[in-house]
Amino acid sequence: MSVESVSVVPRSQIDLLDFVDWSGVECLNQSGSHSLPNALKQGYREDDDLNLESDADEQLLIYIPFLQVIKLHSVVIKGPEEEGPKTVKLFANREHMGFSNVNDFPPSDSAVLSTENLEGKPVIVKYVKFQNVRSLTIFIEENQSGSEITKIQKIVLYGTTVETTDMKGLKKIEDH
Amino acid sequence: MVLEATMICIDNSEWMRNGDYSPNRFQAQADAVNLICGAKTQSNPENTVGILTMAGKGVRVLVTPTSDLGKILACMHGLEIGGEMNLTAGIQVAQLALKHRQNKKQQLRIIVFAGSPVKYDKKVLELIGRKLKKNSVSLDIINFGEEDGEKAEKLEALLSAVNNNDSSHIVHVPPGPSALSDVLISTPIFTGDGEGGSGFAAAAAAVAAGGVTGFDFGVDPNLDPELALALRVSMEEERARQEAAAKKAAEEAAKQDVGEQQPNSQDVTMAETVDAGTTVPENKTRDLMDDDNALLHQALEMSMDDSSSVVAVRDTDMSDASADDHDLQLALQLSVQDSTADQTNQTDVNKLLGDQSFMSSILASLPGVDPNDPHVKDLLASMQSQSEIKDEDKEPKEDEKK
Repeated sequence: MSVESVSVVPRSQIDLLDFVDWSGVECLNQSGSHSLPNALKQGYREDDDLNLESDADEQLLIYIPFLQVIKLHSVVIKGPEEEGPKTVKLFANREHMGFSNVNDFPPSDSAVLSTENLEGKPVIVKYVKFQNVRSLTIFIEENQSGSEITKIQKIVLYGTTVETTDMKGLKKIEDH
Repeated sequence: MVLEATMICIDNSEWMRNGDYSPNRFQAQADAVNLICGAKTQSNPENTVGILTMAGKGVRVLVTPTSDLGKILACMHGLEIGGEMNLTAGIQVAQLALKHRQNKKQQLRIIVFAGSPVKYDKKVLELIGRKLKKNSVSLDIINFGEEDGEKAEKLEALLSAVNNNDSSHIVHVPPGPSALSDVLISTPIFTGDGEGGSGFAAAAAAVAAGGVTGFDFGVDPNLDPELALALRVSMEEERARQEAAAKKAAEEAAKQDVGEQQPNSQDVTMAETVDAGTTVPENKTRDLMDDDNALLHQALEMSMDDSSSVVAVRDTDMSDASADDHDLQLALQLSVQDSTADQTNQTDVNKLLGDQSFMSSILASLPGVDPNDPHVKDLLASMQSQSEIKDEDKEPKEDEKK
């Protein structure tokens, strides 16, 4: 992971929330009442009382597809000091992983979150590995205190988009 | 109509030879499996079902999740009874089979037939349940056959470990005269979590309940599918129309005085029930009626000053309605009495408004749009004495309407 102590995301990096393909977003092992939109969606994520919580055990597997290809620069994961996530693994472009095969592939990047990260300091990822990302899988392996439930208040993804053809914008050339 | 991939775990252990379910436990199970497969594939054509056996030499997958009903039913033949049921291994293999499904968008479900005693600890079962919940797999347990006191408890514990938002169910079927499949039909396992029974299940239930005559509309969908479909469609349209009418009646009631409300809504609903049986043309007239309503309101406002013209409108109404039935005529007579009762005066505006929507609701039930045009023309003709300003307002609106 990056050693720089950057506490502010560079201005060129934008919040990728607008490029998330909500129809394909999935989260395994989330609790029914405390689900992923609480941590991802605008408005909900700002509210510290609305959390994403895990259900049967402390692991979480979040799958976020994007509407277009993006480059990922950094990630902010905010959570409470005790039940916030500790070990986080990121996988780029792996569709539909499950808990059983999550350890079969090496992650594109992994991080151990510190207390500062849990308060909002962004985690810079290995940029070279996330140049061409169509979908991101976040695997939360364990939490800070080892408790049964992992809680996440906010997840923000920062990055840039890649020039992609917008198929809807393509217009048929009229013959005269 | 949930898109689902289902694995059915069959118990083919020695305990299934017992005859306390007719003809024997295994046969009853096979019938139930056939019914479930049919229901699942019918409720959504993209649903897939797979089958595995838990006893015998070991857990064996007979068919991987597929939507081909023939293949599923074929694999049920020639199954042998023997051995002991391995519940945990069966569920785990089912989970694995589901993981390797083709369509990743399907929701996962495992249906377990637990006929023989369960030899595992509650703890082990709970662990398995939690693992299923973690991977968002729902579990349906059918507890039948052997009952040794702890079995029900253990299975309930397994269910509570798996259950997420009531998507998992357990059914206890005691031995008795009724077949296993009949008991299952009424359970959420068949009816898909309260979405309402699929047509297949409903028809099957009807057959089980009271012979061939038990179909929805007295028509066998197998013998005459077109007629059954037509009847079903007209029922739904009628229902939709009644809902719309009830909503409209509620809106109109909210707008007017209480006094006029009741005759209004009664007449609307009466008119609706009277027209039961006719379908599409009626819908069209209702849509047009909404546009005409506004015009009619205007027209009738203008006729406020002239009671005779109102009566004239009523008369034309009645002549049109004479083709229809007694209820409508009664209603119209009532309305005529109402209009003659109150004299033309500005202070009784509300009552007249009530009458006019009353009348327009009657008009609405008359078939076809044409009667409305002549009506409006009649109104215009009878209102020669009205101020020109109002006429001018009327004409541009008529043009729009045309």
